[in-house]
Amino acid sequence: MATHTAAPRRRWRRYGTSYLMLLPFLGLFAGFLVWPLVNSLYLSFTKFDGVNAPEFQGLENFRRLLFDDDRFRHALGNTFLYVVASIGIGTLLSLGLALAFNGSSWPHRIMRTIFFLPSVTSSIALMLLWKWVFNPGDFGLANTVAAWFGGRAVEWLATPGLTIPILVLMSVWGGMGYGMVLYVAGLNTIPQEYYEAARIDGAGTWQQFRRVTLPLLRPVTTYVVVTGLIGAFQVFEAVYIVFRGTNNIGGVLDSGLMIVPYLYDQGFTHFKLGYASAIAWVLFLIIFALSMVNLRIGRALKEL
Amino acid sequence: MRRTTAATCAALIAALGAGCATSGTSETRQADANAPATITWWSTGGDDETATFQKAADLYAKTHPNMTIKVQTLSWDDAYAKLLAASTSRSGPDIISGGMTWTIQFGLRGGMVDLRKYGIEQLQAQAQPAQWKSAVSPDGTIYGIPLDMSTEALYYRTDLFEEAGLKEPPKTWDELTADIEKLKKSGVKTPFSIDWGNLDWIGYFNFLYQAGGTFYTPDCKPSLNTSQAEQALSYWIDLHREHGAPTDTVTTPDALGAGTAMVYGGNWNALAIDTSKPELKGKWAIAPLPTGPAGPTTFIGGRAVGVTSYSKHIQQAADFVKFLYTDEAVDAVAAESKARNIAYIPPRPDKVADSPFAPEHSAVFAEIIKTGAAAPGCPGWDESASDVAKQLQSAILGKADVKTALGEAAKVMERNAG
Repeated sequence: MATHTAAPRRRWRRYGTSYLMLLPFLGLFAGFLVWPLVNSLYLSFTKFDGVNAPEFQGLENFRRLLFDDDRFRHALGNTFLYVVASIGIGTLLSLGLALAFNGSSWPHRIMRTIFFLPSVTSSIALMLLWKWVFNPGDFGLANTVAAWFGGRAVEWLATPGLTIPILVLMSVWGGMGYGMVLYVAGLNTIPQEYYEAARIDGAGTWQQFRRVTLPLLRPVTTYVVVTGLIGAFQVFEAVYIVFRGTNNIGGVLDSGLMIVPYLYDQGFTHFKLGYASAIAWVLFLIIFALSMVNLRIGRALKEL
Repeated sequence: MRRTTAATCAALIAALGAGCATSGTSETRQADANAPATITWWSTGGDDETATFQKAADLYAKTHPNMTIKVQTLSWDDAYAKLLAASTSRSGPDIISGGMTWTIQFGLRGGMVDLRKYGIEQLQAQAQPAQWKSAVSPDGTIYGIPLDMSTEALYYRTDLFEEAGLKEPPKTWDELTADIEKLKKSGVKTPFSIDWGNLDWIGYFNFLYQAGGTFYTPDCKPSLNTSQAEQALSYWIDLHREHGAPTDTVTTPDALGAGTAMVYGGNWNALAIDTSKPELKGKWAIAPLPTGPAGPTTFIGGRAVGVTSYSKHIQQAADFVKFLYTDEAVDAVAAESKARNIAYIPPRPDKVADSPFAPEHSAVFAEIIKTGAAAPGCPGWDESASDVAKQLQSAILGKADVKTALGEAAKVMERNAG
């Protein structure tokens, strides 16, 4: 009996101060992360307009979302297209840039800084700049450049077929510098001896890249893809700022409607906070499942 | 230890669950009406606009020494979410102002006070009838009243008109399309564009009402399946496809600056053009929108103001809201707006001529407002608006014919009407 009570007391004496020091963080963590999370899970099973008390209605929100909501399906399709294109192109370009500028010479450092700049710039400011670039007026950069080559003025932001490509372009431009820095770090950890050994065995540049660089960069690739995936699924500012010209949040014909803007629209413009919470949890499950698949494919769990 | 952790987690979740269920409406206890009171007004808009309303508040406080009224700014971007959070937690401002339908939406959910209990109807005679009607909820409850007005006018470049041999702005739809062609012939690349409401229901609103149509019948039945609605949409499509109106939106000052000859734009542009495009000074004018087959009706928007149900000073706040319609309050806001170059149109049509615009512009706005109409206040409209806009876009972009697009829009409106 005595040993039973003595053990926690000893533990407390040993770790008590640490626990006390952790308390402020734990308090904030519980109040601003755990509580809203649990609350949103509860709300996803309710009908809640933000003012009146939530009304429990079981799985109704999820049923309607998955089987009875064309706009959600449209948003899901758009988001998948956007995620695949922006992650695919973004990762390839990040790797390309890293291979091109991974040295320690000044030109390489300057180029790396230039490509990294968008990552440290306010995303709102960037989106407003993109809005100017694609402005149909004479001061729109895209149309000005098109005119130099004799091209016709294009109504970039009001042509539904161009919405996703423009969103992908903005995402790749803004994100490839960040991916590049991670890849450069990854490249610098590969010992030169491996390349020497490969060369002695007669491997050419392509074979060295394919057989040495790529496999050893796998943990970095997994990290770049998983974090990119999470970010891309949560795209919001780009749609909200650049394409929200009309009453529908997703731009002309909802061509840029993505999951998070749709969630915002349902929750904060239509007072459907229960439904919006259900969308958030479906999004969480999608991101969770895809990240798991990605980690498995990369077989990088150990390396991470 | 593990059991203790599990029990703590379970207790935490249970407590959180209980916490979740505690929000809801309840009566807020009123403070003593004679005790000193501080009333907070969350005003959606810019800091400059807040300062104009503060003038009216200070004026009121002079005759009510027990009261202090603080006007605070909410930006348009996050106002709705903040007001929603205030309603949910039932703590926040005593007075709110924002989009025309916001007070109705919060009111229907128990977040606003029915101002009829405080004699607000007496202001109806002073207000623009259509705008007043749109602020009143379908069952007649008055959760908010118009705080100001916004409307749309035809902005045109007088120099380009002169070059094309045009003496005056178009007065009818036919004249509009004829002038577009004349301007094209004189070398104007983009003769016409729409700023406010381009590819949106507000843009269609003007054409629809000018053709004699409406979104809903007076008893709130969707009414887009009419020949007037078709005529309006066909004309709007022609403006884009036949006469080169851009589908992409450029603001009125930018469009005029880039050489567009005519733009349908909001009233605020009348103060913005000379500031942002000084080179256009003396080269532009405004006129009412060209009249359709049924008349000149133009969209009227604006903001609504109301008292929250969680205020501790409902009586005093309602009394102040009524004060906002007095001559002295309207004049004070207009004078401060003029000093700050803010495009304020008072909610009282008799005062529009004194608004802070150039006298010739104020006269045009006063003329437009006489026959103005406001957004439909019918049940389900707010939910339908974005889908209706999408159907209109389908028709303009050639993805659906006029009849199909309007039929689909009407279906959505019927479904949401409940």
